[in-house]
Amino acid sequence: MSQRIVVDPVTRIEGHLRVEADIQNGKIVDAFSSGTMVRGIEKILKGRDPRDAWAFVGRVCGVCTSIHSLASVRTVEDALNITIPPNAELVRNLMFATLYMHDHVVHFYHLHALDWVDIVSALKADPKKTSEIAQSISNYPKSSPGYFSDLIKRLTKYVESGQLGIFANGYWGHSAYKLPPEVNLIGVAHYLEALEWQKEIVKIQAIFGGKNPHPNFLVGGMACSIGLDDVSSINAERLAHVEQLLKDAKEFITQVYIPDLLAIAPYYLDWGAIGGGLGNYLAYGDLPTNGYRDTSSYKFPPGAILNKDLSRVYEVNMREDGEIQEFINNSWYDYAGGNDKGLHPWKGETEIKYTGPQPPFEHLDTNKAYSFIKTPRWKGNAMEVGPLARVLVGYASGKEEYKEIVDSTLSKLGVPATALFSTLGRTAARGLESALMADWALDFYDELINNIRNGDTRMANMDMFNPEKWPAKAMGVGHTEAPRGALGHWIVIEDKKIANYQLVVPTTWNASPRDAAGKQSAYEAALMDTPVADSNQPVEILRTIHSFDPCLACAVHLYDETGDQVSKVQVL
Amino acid sequence: MKDIQEKNILFLGIGNYLMGDEGVGVALARKLETIPLPPNVEVLDGGTGGFHLMGPMEAYETVFMADATLDGLPAGTVRLIEPRFSKDFPRVMSTHEVGLRDVVEAMTLRGTLPKIYLYLVSVEEVQPMHIGLSEPVQAAADALVMRIASDIEAFSAAGVLA
Repeated sequence: MSQRIVVDPVTRIEGHLRVEADIQNGKIVDAFSSGTMVRGIEKILKGRDPRDAWAFVGRVCGVCTSIHSLASVRTVEDALNITIPPNAELVRNLMFATLYMHDHVVHFYHLHALDWVDIVSALKADPKKTSEIAQSISNYPKSSPGYFSDLIKRLTKYVESGQLGIFANGYWGHSAYKLPPEVNLIGVAHYLEALEWQKEIVKIQAIFGGKNPHPNFLVGGMACSIGLDDVSSINAERLAHVEQLLKDAKEFITQVYIPDLLAIAPYYLDWGAIGGGLGNYLAYGDLPTNGYRDTSSYKFPPGAILNKDLSRVYEVNMREDGEIQEFINNSWYDYAGGNDKGLHPWKGETEIKYTGPQPPFEHLDTNKAYSFIKTPRWKGNAMEVGPLARVLVGYASGKEEYKEIVDSTLSKLGVPATALFSTLGRTAARGLESALMADWALDFYDELINNIRNGDTRMANMDMFNPEKWPAKAMGVGHTEAPRGALGHWIVIEDKKIANYQLVVPTTWNASPRDAAGKQSAYEAALMDTPVADSNQPVEILRTIHSFDPCLACAVHLYDETGDQVSKVQVL
Repeated sequence: MKDIQEKNILFLGIGNYLMGDEGVGVALARKLETIPLPPNVEVLDGGTGGFHLMGPMEAYETVFMADATLDGLPAGTVRLIEPRFSKDFPRVMSTHEVGLRDVVEAMTLRGTLPKIYLYLVSVEEVQPMHIGLSEPVQAAADALVMRIASDIEAFSAAGVLA
């Protein structure tokens, strides 16, 4: 007999996710992931000007704002066959890199670290010993015994005030926490340092995008002008500021994030064999260095891997009808032509049909539809997307940079390559690509400066901006890699208006319900066989789910003032 | 970009305008951007931003904020609260992704929480994927814009809100 436990909502994520898991003899034997949300941005976009879509999609999420806008302008540019100038590509890459470094660091320290780092244990650390450990793993200057003893005093005061605040939702003291107090303290110290750092790096978004958290994009290029001596443009002073922020980012990632990852991982090597899941990985690729259409120039190469076979990378065609399809067998939607077949996003439909239980309810009926998330498949395969998928595709594609960083990390931790297919692998991959990104961002910056010095200040191609030049009908697809995985937007333009717009977001791939054949998607598959020591405190479930960096931000979920979830959801 | 050094008051409107009345804070920010305010005041459409808002909030001594709340009061009811600790903030602020509440808690931990005046506008329901405010919330927003402008002006002159 198994016991079903419910984690709802999964905390420290974007948006609203519910996980139900059946546990038998201390292990998960079945798992269900449900996005109890309504998404319908597609409905809002219908009939609007395609050139405005980026502004609307940028609002579906508080973290991925600029990545949705990027996918959107690329989709329209694809439909209208627009090639953007090299500087615009570089500025997009710089904003992309900024988002990544911010998002990955915030994820690691503020959303994921507390699954591994016990804040209460940190208070018992010996400052001198902590300092010795910190200095043995990194040159980061804030590492003196005084720094750590001051921190303990501050934390103790904070905890004793009774307001655990940001640390309130933790299973402190749980037997699954393995770090010694000193390493816990280093984790907490850098949790705080990361808060300080993250507010600086995002300034790059504001410099190039005019504002933050919702920067400006433009179909045809970027909406910023370059004038080295012009006070209102991207001038020499602002560029110097960008360079400094990028250098600081590299310092933080190489001196804080990566050393912490390598210091924490050895205590959790068992997680190198837990949470692997599907073994199928998908990346659309991004970071062009020779224009968006030349996918061979991407720093993140595109491709698919099946059954953990790193000897072969399959090509993915986002336009082909039979490749990417969304199914709704287990989702609360209705397709006009019947609910049993998958639809390519260009033919996608977003008709909501809620058939789940009326709240409040104890369990979802997982024999029927149980999620607002559709189930995407690539050639019928369930695929995992995200940092691990990107790193594995880069590695399997034979890219030197990936080989070097992956192999050296495996050897430092003394684990075999199979450890990559795991919860630990996912969390490590996020760090490794952050380190790659820190270097690439400085390369993009140098190239931008070179172009400007050589007199190229073009930032937009406005040849096709006027709708009078558009064909009567056009179809486009735009792709990018959001920090949490492959993101695709598909558009159909008719009579200069949006006739259809579909997003297939990373969390749709990862968090979707099972398909018609009963095949699980990434979250559900990754939870299978996970040990759960205490079903009242399932920190193990959080570790694996958080390792994907869930983002269901297009979610509809509200709380009343007592903190109870408001269950009234108006169905469209 | 404006020089933030001279500015010590921020108006921050937050919410998601793709969800009907939930976006009332953003609607207020956009309106306030178009009317004259004292030179030391910056207006920011915070949208759905979570951790992205910590930098801007810490850069000002005083932050006037506006947000929607589902508190059971009639739609369009406006309340002004002065939250001093994260627990004083209504949970409803968690609607916007990794909640602004988390950011407030992080600032409390850092000891950097600015003085905050928070205008809460009651909404009765949230309409997913709908742009525009309902009639009572729109009426409340129209009146609230003038009140916020005059509150900010009074505060700017006297350093305190009467």
